[in-house]
Amino acid sequence: MALLVDKHRPRSLEALSYHHTLSDRLRSLAQSGDFPHLLIYGPSGAGKKTRITATLRALYGPGVEKIKIDSRVFQTTSNRKLEFNIVSSNYHLEITPSDVGNYDRVVVQDLLKEVAQTQQVDLAAKQRFKVVVINEADHLTRDAQAALRRTMEKYSPNLRLILLANSTSNIIAPIRSRTLLVRVAAPTEEEICDVLKKVGKKEGYKENAELEKRIAKESGRNLRRALLMFEAVHAQNEQVNEKTPIPPPDWEALIAQIADDIIAEHTPARILQVRAKLYDLLTHCIPATTILKTLTFKLMPKIDDALKSEVVKWSAFYEHRIRMGSKVIFHLEAFVAKFMRVSEAHLMGMDFDDDF
Amino acid sequence: MPSDIRSFFGGKPAATPAVQEKKPEKAPAKKGRGRKVVEDSDEDEAPKVKKTAAKKAEKRAPTPEGEATTTSDYFGSKNKPKRSEPTRPKTAGKPAADSEPTVTPVKANGRASKAKGTPSKETPSSRTSSRKKATTSYAELQGEDEFPDDDLDGAEDVFTAEFKDHRKDKKEAYKEDDDEDDEPVKPQRRSNGKGAQKKLKDDDYDPDGDVDMKEENPEDDFVVPDEDEEIVEDKPATKSKAAASRKRKAQDLDEEEEEDEAPTKKTKKAASPAKPKAPAKKAKKEDAQDSAAMQDILAGVPLIRAPSPPPKTEQKGFKFGGQHGNSGPPPEAGSFEAPDGAENCLAGLSFVFTGLLQKLSRDEGQALVKRYGGKVMSAPSKNTSYVVLGADAGPKKLEVIKKNGLKVIDEEGLAHLIRVLPANGGDSAAAAKNAEKKAKEEEKIREMAAEMEKQERAIGGTGGARAGKTANVSGGKGKGKENAPDTRLWTVKYAPSAMNQICGNKTQVDKLQKWLHDFPKNQRTKFKMAGPNGSGNYRAVMIHGPPGIGKTTAAHLVAKMEGYDVVESNASDTRSKKLVESGLKGVLSTTSLLGYFAGDNKEVEAGKKKLVLIMDEVDGMSAGDRGGVGALAAVCKKSQIPMILICNDRKQPKMKPFDFVTYDLPFRRPTTDQIRARISTILFREGMKMPPNVVNALIEGSGADIRQVVNMISTAKLDQEAMDFDQGKEMSKAWEKHTILKPWDITGKILGGGMFAPSSKSTLNDKIELYFNDHEFSPLMLQENYLGTNPILSNNAPNQKMKNLKALELASKAADSISDGDLVDRMIHGSQQQWSLMPAHAVFSFVRPASFVAGSMSGHQTRFTSWLGKNSSQGKLTRMVKEIQGHMRLRTSGDRHEVRQQYVPTLWKNLVQKLQVEGKEAVPEIIDLMDSYFLTKDDWDAIMELGVGPMDMENVKIETQAKATFTRMYNAATHPLPFMKSSSVLAPKGKTTKEKPDLEEAIDESDEGEAVDDKPDEEEDMDLSKDKYVAKPKKKKAPAKAKGKGKKAAEDEDEEDEEEKPKKAKGKAAAKGETTGERTLSSLTGVIVYMNIFAPDLFFISLK
Repeated sequence: MALLVDKHRPRSLEALSYHHTLSDRLRSLAQSGDFPHLLIYGPSGAGKKTRITATLRALYGPGVEKIKIDSRVFQTTSNRKLEFNIVSSNYHLEITPSDVGNYDRVVVQDLLKEVAQTQQVDLAAKQRFKVVVINEADHLTRDAQAALRRTMEKYSPNLRLILLANSTSNIIAPIRSRTLLVRVAAPTEEEICDVLKKVGKKEGYKENAELEKRIAKESGRNLRRALLMFEAVHAQNEQVNEKTPIPPPDWEALIAQIADDIIAEHTPARILQVRAKLYDLLTHCIPATTILKTLTFKLMPKIDDALKSEVVKWSAFYEHRIRMGSKVIFHLEAFVAKFMRVSEAHLMGMDFDDDF
Repeated sequence: MPSDIRSFFGGKPAATPAVQEKKPEKAPAKKGRGRKVVEDSDEDEAPKVKKTAAKKAEKRAPTPEGEATTTSDYFGSKNKPKRSEPTRPKTAGKPAADSEPTVTPVKANGRASKAKGTPSKETPSSRTSSRKKATTSYAELQGEDEFPDDDLDGAEDVFTAEFKDHRKDKKEAYKEDDDEDDEPVKPQRRSNGKGAQKKLKDDDYDPDGDVDMKEENPEDDFVVPDEDEEIVEDKPATKSKAAASRKRKAQDLDEEEEEDEAPTKKTKKAASPAKPKAPAKKAKKEDAQDSAAMQDILAGVPLIRAPSPPPKTEQKGFKFGGQHGNSGPPPEAGSFEAPDGAENCLAGLSFVFTGLLQKLSRDEGQALVKRYGGKVMSAPSKNTSYVVLGADAGPKKLEVIKKNGLKVIDEEGLAHLIRVLPANGGDSAAAAKNAEKKAKEEEKIREMAAEMEKQERAIGGTGGARAGKTANVSGGKGKGKENAPDTRLWTVKYAPSAMNQICGNKTQVDKLQKWLHDFPKNQRTKFKMAGPNGSGNYRAVMIHGPPGIGKTTAAHLVAKMEGYDVVESNASDTRSKKLVESGLKGVLSTTSLLGYFAGDNKEVEAGKKKLVLIMDEVDGMSAGDRGGVGALAAVCKKSQIPMILICNDRKQPKMKPFDFVTYDLPFRRPTTDQIRARISTILFREGMKMPPNVVNALIEGSGADIRQVVNMISTAKLDQEAMDFDQGKEMSKAWEKHTILKPWDITGKILGGGMFAPSSKSTLNDKIELYFNDHEFSPLMLQENYLGTNPILSNNAPNQKMKNLKALELASKAADSISDGDLVDRMIHGSQQQWSLMPAHAVFSFVRPASFVAGSMSGHQTRFTSWLGKNSSQGKLTRMVKEIQGHMRLRTSGDRHEVRQQYVPTLWKNLVQKLQVEGKEAVPEIIDLMDSYFLTKDDWDAIMELGVGPMDMENVKIETQAKATFTRMYNAATHPLPFMKSSSVLAPKGKTTKEKPDLEEAIDESDEGEAVDDKPDEEEDMDLSKDKYVAKPKKKKAPAKAKGKGKKAAEDEDEEDEEEKPKKAKGKAAAKGETTGERTLSSLTGVIVYMNIFAPDLFFISLK
């Protein structure tokens, strides 16, 4: 009994319920026999991976669903051993090089070459090439991306790459030029509602259009999230109606609490308290950028309009720094301090003259 | 024991009088049982007292001449300060002159002078003296008694030995002692009285306490202010004094007290005229010395009124953290112009700084006073000449000020004093006294030097009869002080050659000596008897203390004194476990040949048979000496010869093996005065001129490292004959030992505010330097603590609100700067490795933020950085998330962030909360869900741990029963595993290819292969039947499969293991029948193996 989101995952391109044109294009690509390298990008919960799996099925048939996980150990040049998991079927490989952090180059070089230099032995296979799906391609280091670009050309007879990313901004131009860019947009709220309705029917839930709409809105157009919320709401309440509260995830609840703290009091001592909570979030694996973004959005409704642009500006400023720096807490704390400073000055009717 | 006396006196003259006076008083009453008490009571004190008394007595009898001078001096000067002003000048001139009188005359002398000066006092003083006499003789008797008969009594034993062996030394020492004492003598008396009282009280053995008091008081009566003070001290102000005296007892060496008191005493008198309270009559005598001009000058000093101390009732408990109030920078720093005064103009005056001064920091003020020859004391007493008062002075101090009517000035008053006072303090009483003291000191030094010379000559004559370093090296050369051809280092040349020349740590040296002396005796008793000071159980002694204070010297000297031959091993020798074990074996059971043979013309020294092993620099045993420490500790437990181990830091973990194995003797840094006497002697011998305050500066600057001071003056000798204060300061700064500050100190220093005060002299480089004390921790520590300050920059805000805003602004700026620093840090530690940016990082991450928020840290405890801990727990939890994601991977498409942010909260509700709410009924459902995602029990724990905020693990309270059921049921069933680990390492290059096929050994699960494949089942089957490679691997597979299985069993849970065997059997039997449902498919290029509990069967099927 898996969760709904996985239980009702569509398996073929035909079963996909939105972005039909995209599905059609992918199908024709799969049938053309000249399958290009793909760079699929879009926000999480839009259905990138599901589409890829369906495409692979279209390419190779159901054999591609027989997947397993291998654990391989790689040795870096400095003799460090890296353990690395590979999900694979007969016909494809799925890797997440960013799992090994800065050593992703080693994995990319070794593994891809190894795969590329091996010919498909299964004569019955529909395609002569194997597909390597690279998750989180936008988290690949520059080195790893550079290692990819030549491989992509040299071994194209044996190998096709499908890169998955949230955005193309971190992917170097040479790679972008060698791939077919496919954007998978987040589903609209209506599309999410449709999916929820369909799933609800399968599960025998009582239909409640209002609730579904609310969930769709709450989910931020993330279908995965919407489905999980949908399930959570139904799991927790025997009877649901429009008013049934949608429980937020733990981390969001905590961030909301932080936002309240920040608004309630502007003192250095409060910054210290907030720091403790930020640390809590960070240690529990919530990415700093997510924290900053969520926090900003939680703060927005609570502040004066005049301040909003200022706060957003600083939020963006520190998000950039989070990406540039290494100790994220410093930047988060600087944002909190800046926010307190700005909003305190605003409350006292003083101009915020900036320093920098 | 001369050595004793010397540093005893030299160390803390205050004690001497105590001994003498106390003895007399005590003795008569004691006769019956008092003596016992003395002997038995704490080893520290009683023996000492006895010792000195005995020694003195002994010495006096045989050698009247030597002492005569000193004693008379002693008494004369002693009397002077208190009783008879007129005598003072006389004695000042006298000391050099008088040399002959014998003991009794001396005493008479002393008394006489007393009498002369103060006829009114005669009665008490005569009483005292008579008593004194009586006791002295008693002491003598006592001493003699003890020496012969009690062999077992430690203290006496040592004395006897010493006494016998080194009578000569003693004599010298005694002389030296007295010399040294001359200057402090004056104050001694006073402190002595106090000390005696204290001691009596503390020991609380004596019926004489009352008498004692009486005796003191009459004397004090004479000078009324004294009386006042005495009382003050007895009651409210006693604390510090008491503490001091106690400390003195404990340490035996705390000279500071004495130091302070000496001047104070003097200065008090000088001050007394101006004292508002002091009755003119009484003051008159003392003032007699101050010329009218001086009085004018002193009267011209602008006094301020001290605020009255607050009522005493408030706050009972000690408030921690409230102490930093006055440590901040002065509010109006920079506005103070350092006065230019005559040299040494504050001579004889003593100052106390208290409260937060307006215009100059306390350190600067104290430096100023020291520079002009004044004394700085930490707490006011009746002897304080001036109190320099700032804001928020402690109530206790104010109380003392009020009680004693001390003169209170501010920094302007201090400046005024410095400007107007003539050089060397002019002709004021204090200055006169100072001059006199100085003269005496010089005299003493000269004597000491002469002594040294004599000694050296003697040594030269006997051709190295003594085996000590000095003797060895200087043998044959001797002749006087022409040191021109002497190539020895000064540190060698002037190394102590007698016990009395060791500066400080008297008690410890005595203990060491006693231990060594008793060693053979203890050996006979098999180290079963602890002895009076507990050292009898040990075969080894551990001396530890900072460098340069004479640990090695003391060890060698004691060994020499006790007639042991020294075997030394230090860091220059390898001391690994093996070498310690084998190397020491040869030493531990041997005797020295020196006891039987000697070189040409030398007599055989019978005493040299005994060996002592000195292990120097034990903490220097490093990586090369693996196991050495342990082996050495083991040796210490069974050694048959005494071992003296020496190290700097006893607390290091690696010194742990020596716990309970060695008798620990901590050596402390000697006080400035203890060292100064020695240094002055050396200076004199070398013909260098250095005023005492310069010597003091050198000593303080080096952290009381005698060796370094000697080295410094030897360097100075090369190009100059004299040195002034500034040169001295400069030199000790240049020679400053750079201690690495601890992160806490760094943080306190940079955030404390001192460095950023307008008056601060520290440059940007100084601050950056601070960062480099620990470049890894300092930014982190700063980041942890920067919000805990009370920024100076926000202090002048008009109201609380503005102040808060300002504080926020500063905090924000600091945070921004820290954020900048992190970007720099990334460039340093990231891929670019721009280490040259370190100073920039120092500024951004450390100096600049501190520059905003620096200020008092009161009420805020400096915490250790939490970043490290948080970072590592983040790492741990990240691994957990990865693990979970790895397990769920076959089911979900999300990356690990999605898993954490979306799945974990949902799973938490379905796994953890469900168990919490529904109890054990929910268990099957939970396990079912876990299996469907391939989650293990560990993952379940991880999910629980990953909760945050409302899902915090702290809030999860699962009934133990439910939890137990869950665990039991989970363990009872088998669970699908998504994959196995491969243990083969893939080399980075080379044999990359062709290995892939072998990976098939990975055997995988699927209980719910069906679940996944609900729909596509038929297709799949079809697929399989088409697949040509299904059959192929069968033959090949056998070994691989077996291997896989084995591995699996090993790696994954035991349940699997247990089940496998029966299944195999079953599988074989029922093989054919079971081929239906899921079949295992494998091909050469990849494997899809659905692993379930039937897997073993399938293997066998495929084998067939």
